[in-house]
Amino acid sequence: MDIKNILEKLISSKGVSGNEALAANTAAEILADYMPTEIQSSGNVVGFLDGEGPIIMLEAHLDQIGLIVTDIDKSGFIRFAKCGGADMRVLPAADVTIVGKDGVEIDGIVISTPPHLAKDEDKKKFKQIEDLAIDVGLCYEDALKVIRPGDRVTYKKAFGSLMNNRLYGTSFDDRAGVAAVLKAVDLLKGQKLNCKLCVLFAALEETTGGGAAVGAFAHQPDESISVDVSFAESPGVPEHKTGKLGSGAMIGIAPTLDDEISGKLIKIARTKKIKYQTEVMGGQTSTNADKISVAGRGVKTGLISIPLRNMHSAVEVLQLDDVEAVAQLLAEYVLSKGVM
Amino acid sequence: MLELLKQMAEITAVSGKEGVLRDLIIEQIKPFAEYEIDPLGNLLVRKKGRRKAKNKVMLAAHMDEVGIIVTYAEKSGFLRFATVGGIDPKVLIGREVVFENGTRGVTGLSPVHLLKDSEKDAVPEISSLYIDIGAENDEQALSAVPLGTRGTFREKFEYFGDGLIAGRALDDRIGVALMVDIIRSEIEYDLHFAFTVQEEVGARGAAAAAFSVAPDYAIVLEATTAADIIDVPEHRTVCALKNGPAVSFMDHSTVYPMELYDLAMKVAKDNGIKAQPKAAVAGGNDAGSIHKSGKGVKAITLSVPCRYIHSQNCVAAVQDMESARALAEKLAAELANA
Repeated sequence: MDIKNILEKLISSKGVSGNEALAANTAAEILADYMPTEIQSSGNVVGFLDGEGPIIMLEAHLDQIGLIVTDIDKSGFIRFAKCGGADMRVLPAADVTIVGKDGVEIDGIVISTPPHLAKDEDKKKFKQIEDLAIDVGLCYEDALKVIRPGDRVTYKKAFGSLMNNRLYGTSFDDRAGVAAVLKAVDLLKGQKLNCKLCVLFAALEETTGGGAAVGAFAHQPDESISVDVSFAESPGVPEHKTGKLGSGAMIGIAPTLDDEISGKLIKIARTKKIKYQTEVMGGQTSTNADKISVAGRGVKTGLISIPLRNMHSAVEVLQLDDVEAVAQLLAEYVLSKGVM
Repeated sequence: MLELLKQMAEITAVSGKEGVLRDLIIEQIKPFAEYEIDPLGNLLVRKKGRRKAKNKVMLAAHMDEVGIIVTYAEKSGFLRFATVGGIDPKVLIGREVVFENGTRGVTGLSPVHLLKDSEKDAVPEISSLYIDIGAENDEQALSAVPLGTRGTFREKFEYFGDGLIAGRALDDRIGVALMVDIIRSEIEYDLHFAFTVQEEVGARGAAAAAFSVAPDYAIVLEATTAADIIDVPEHRTVCALKNGPAVSFMDHSTVYPMELYDLAMKVAKDNGIKAQPKAAVAGGNDAGSIHKSGKGVKAITLSVPCRYIHSQNCVAAVQDMESARALAEKLAAELANA
């Protein structure tokens, strides 16, 4: 499996929180080559490979941050709110795509006020979300025909190569996690497993965390590993809060994570010579691991992250080697039958 | 014209590095006119009309576009830069960048999650921004992108909404496309054309071009700010899309002769061509250099209204380009025979 191709395929299908159908179809189609797979009413994609032994779940979230249409103004401009943690600093003059009625995609551009209209104090501040709008180049009547309140908006797809096997693009958070899980499943193909394997691509991580909560409850795994992205080093960001691109899988250690799982992941990475770094957090992890660990009667949960720059912008940056390392680590972990 | 705009969208021509675009223009006009390249890099063109002109009329449009120039590489491999021309830092964050040698990068930003509330809406200084090309250190970075390399927003030319186009550098590729189209057609009177360099860094090419051509009249073909967007009061919009070219009476670099302003509006009206005043004293363009050249030149500017100018998404209306072309041709003929 070529992970770059898979990643591009995954980011080409839009799926802002609560409206993950297009992304779900693409992920489910790939996963179905490896195990019985279904898209559930929750919006989650779930694959289950039966076998002997405990249930190990691998999870990554399907949804991406974006915007949600709140009003179509008489001028034809589109008002919106955040849907997940969109960053208003990247919005002026940004390319966006509105997924309108019947999945029709409409190009839009977020307005940017010309500097000559800005007072000096406005020049130093970004506009608040409620003062922005999307230009779709249509009059009110035509806009109404294709766009309605509640439609989701994403950054327009960007995808390209940088030096050192690094890529930039939209929604690597968390399609890179989905790609890593798919690659892990591919690495496990034909191998004898001593466990049942459950794959959960969860809806709604960026807003409510509802997808992971109901997904973990429904399948009540014995243990689960979430794969998400985390901050990579860049100018202006404290070094102690970030991982490094190219330094491998970021193994999470936190009070809310299962220490035994974290320890075993580190041990496997060492013995199998898989590049890794640790990420220590003081409380919750701000990932689906927080929801899964308390689902039902509780689930032993681990977290592996892919280092990522420019998180929640249209030009997130990652290094493919790190995604590969996460995939390998997940596969070895499953082969080792986890901690049960 | 649109096909040419699309072709030009693939070319990076930040001020001082207009050569690739100039080559494309030459290829387009070669069979239709005589041309020369002056020491600064301006492309000066003479086109014969059906009749000899009484007055020398020059049309001008600038080839260069705004962008960035690499000034420093951090040990960590990130590139620092200065802007070339006026770019609002607000439209420069989290963007794809293409360099003149084809290398790609992105303008980075600290993750919003790690910002204090007071930082979340603060516009950074350009000097604190950086470009990530994936390099691991300064040596790698500079081998791919040496200091002085110019870059700009990624390529784009798309049809947008109802009769609009969107892309970077429509300022002033629109003017260039209009002039190329006129040169490729049959014209009434002899005309001169200047495809200028370095407009975005102080209308410098136009000064030399106007000196060499020494016209009696000049018509500058430009793109200008249209603020006809939501929440902007009508008297602050400057001009609006689909109302035709904006005709200038004054901007920050030129006080235009009112007889030329009146004539442009009259020619538009007499010929059923849409036109509107540029209803603000804002911006500046090549006319600022041209009108002061030699013994003086009477200049007028016709601008195609353009939203979000100097960003990766300039938005203009196709019908305004058509109106601007028609008005430029009629006005040029009028001035040539005045």
